[in-house]
Amino acid sequence: MFSFTKDQRIFEISGVKIGGQPGVYPTVLIGGLFFKGEPDFIKAENQIKDMLGLTKKLGNPSIPDFFIRKEQYIEKILNFIDKKIPKRQPFSIDIIEPDLKIKTLQLLDDKGLLQRTIYNSIHIGITNEERDALKNHTPNMAIIVAFNPKDKSPDGKIEILENGANLIDNGLINLTKKLGVKKILVDTAAMAPGDYSGAAIAAIPVIKEEMGLPTGCAIHNVVEKSKWLDDFKSIRKQVDASSNINIPMFGGDFTIYGPINNSNTVFPMIAWQDILISEYVENYFGISPDDSHPRRKLF
Amino acid sequence: MNLIKTSVIGSYPIDIDTIKHVKAYFKQKIVSWDNYIKSAVKDMLNSGIDIISDGQTRDPFVNIFTRRLKGCRIRDRTEIIDKIEYDGPITVEDQKFIKTFIPKNKHLIGLITGPYTLTNSCVNLFYNNDKELSFDFAKALNQEAKILQKYVDLIGIDEPFFSMGIPDYGKELINTIIKGVSCPVRLHVCGNVKNVIPELLEMPVDILSHEFKALPMLFDTFNQYDVKKDICLGSVRSDKSDIESVDEIVNHIKKGIDIFGDRIKQIAPDCGQKMLQKSVAFLKLKNLVKAGEIINGR
Repeated sequence: MFSFTKDQRIFEISGVKIGGQPGVYPTVLIGGLFFKGEPDFIKAENQIKDMLGLTKKLGNPSIPDFFIRKEQYIEKILNFIDKKIPKRQPFSIDIIEPDLKIKTLQLLDDKGLLQRTIYNSIHIGITNEERDALKNHTPNMAIIVAFNPKDKSPDGKIEILENGANLIDNGLINLTKKLGVKKILVDTAAMAPGDYSGAAIAAIPVIKEEMGLPTGCAIHNVVEKSKWLDDFKSIRKQVDASSNINIPMFGGDFTIYGPINNSNTVFPMIAWQDILISEYVENYFGISPDDSHPRRKLF
Repeated sequence: MNLIKTSVIGSYPIDIDTIKHVKAYFKQKIVSWDNYIKSAVKDMLNSGIDIISDGQTRDPFVNIFTRRLKGCRIRDRTEIIDKIEYDGPITVEDQKFIKTFIPKNKHLIGLITGPYTLTNSCVNLFYNNDKELSFDFAKALNQEAKILQKYVDLIGIDEPFFSMGIPDYGKELINTIIKGVSCPVRLHVCGNVKNVIPELLEMPVDILSHEFKALPMLFDTFNQYDVKKDICLGSVRSDKSDIESVDEIVNHIKKGIDIFGDRIKQIAPDCGQKMLQKSVAFLKLKNLVKAGEIINGR
């Protein structure tokens, strides 16, 4: 049962609130599209519609997370975001290559989408050109990945946020603020199975207690990469989805739960977990859920 | 006169490819640190240095140890939150790795950051006093040293904080680290040691290593004492990018020989080279080696 002594930051993006003490705001659910590269926009439109339907029903906010893997997809994907998803809907863009990130930021700005953008992500691999692009085209919110190749423990994750672990010139939090991004979400960087992957969960309450920032991770990645689960194919999707429960259970605020087509499984699981947390924190700490919380929606 | 060996003090600059690490992370893969160690060691080998180190590439010299000792919590400065205890080998695996690719005629120095320096670099949130903390660090480091000696030719203890004053238990601290250690031990104290020379000369180590190039006044100060310890002479600066010419280094070593005679057993940079650009660090080592060859009459 968690209630943090540190004041908790709550950030809002286009009506979605992320952060705070456990039990106040529902866990924000970030579901990915276009993992394989080539976008299927018809399918995506339906998947996002279904995802938003779940939000309407259960209360947990949806963030579609758009993977952009090639330059040729940037404009198409941003046009899709601009034209096909609800006008106030926040979204995240999930890009690895620095060059693509820079081009996407420019275009997001051109299309007036930066206010709804969660930039996924800032990490130790940030280049000087990417820094400049972020200064010039600043997204409303960014996810910082607390990945520290030297130390995968919760302490190592805090180190990378605080001082960059001598891998970069600044702690990632300060660096991000200096770039002009004020709303920061911390991704605790789930590692490969067997490579201290549990530290991503353990780090959630530590980072929230020390920094008060909205925190979460993509713990499902660990399940997805667990080869031994190949012997349990029929249950694999449920195991993957259920891993997300760890995030609200340890005080986290958002979960990056993998493919958007897992929404049907993930949303009810997390809503149930949020209800459970709300019941005990209200009973024990007197913390009431927000009107958007599944406990308000469903009871 | 025995030949003077060229050495390094410890750290060496490397270029870390952070994007490579991040890309591997997104694929849930791990990038080995071995290439960074190899990059540092190869530079030392290519420059012709006789006594090489692992380059302390993994971390600054304090964090290398505090990251792996029980009782420490890495924050902006390491915090001591529990009793300091050894939790298994810290630098040993890297030495084993280096031994697999260095020529047999090269020597390897195992590096240990001293307990007094660790104590003064950390925020003590657990112990009642610094002495108690220093001794627990020393006991933990002794366990590392005893394992380390099996894989290295000598051990270097780095105690820069001694330059600001050696506590009355300083000698006992060093004794604690080297208990059961039979390989030669070098104590490196950079900074201005003019006020602590008598204590340094009493230290239970084989070689004293100091920053003579940046602080040439130390020659005169040491000259006032009967030095019976062997000396590692700091001969190129670690805090400046200007590359000393071979002649300049030769003259510096000759000055050292005037004071210490054949007590000079090693020449090295003044300190770790981590703050220098890699290319600069390499050229400094190269000139150091050339100067050593001239002094040795090769």
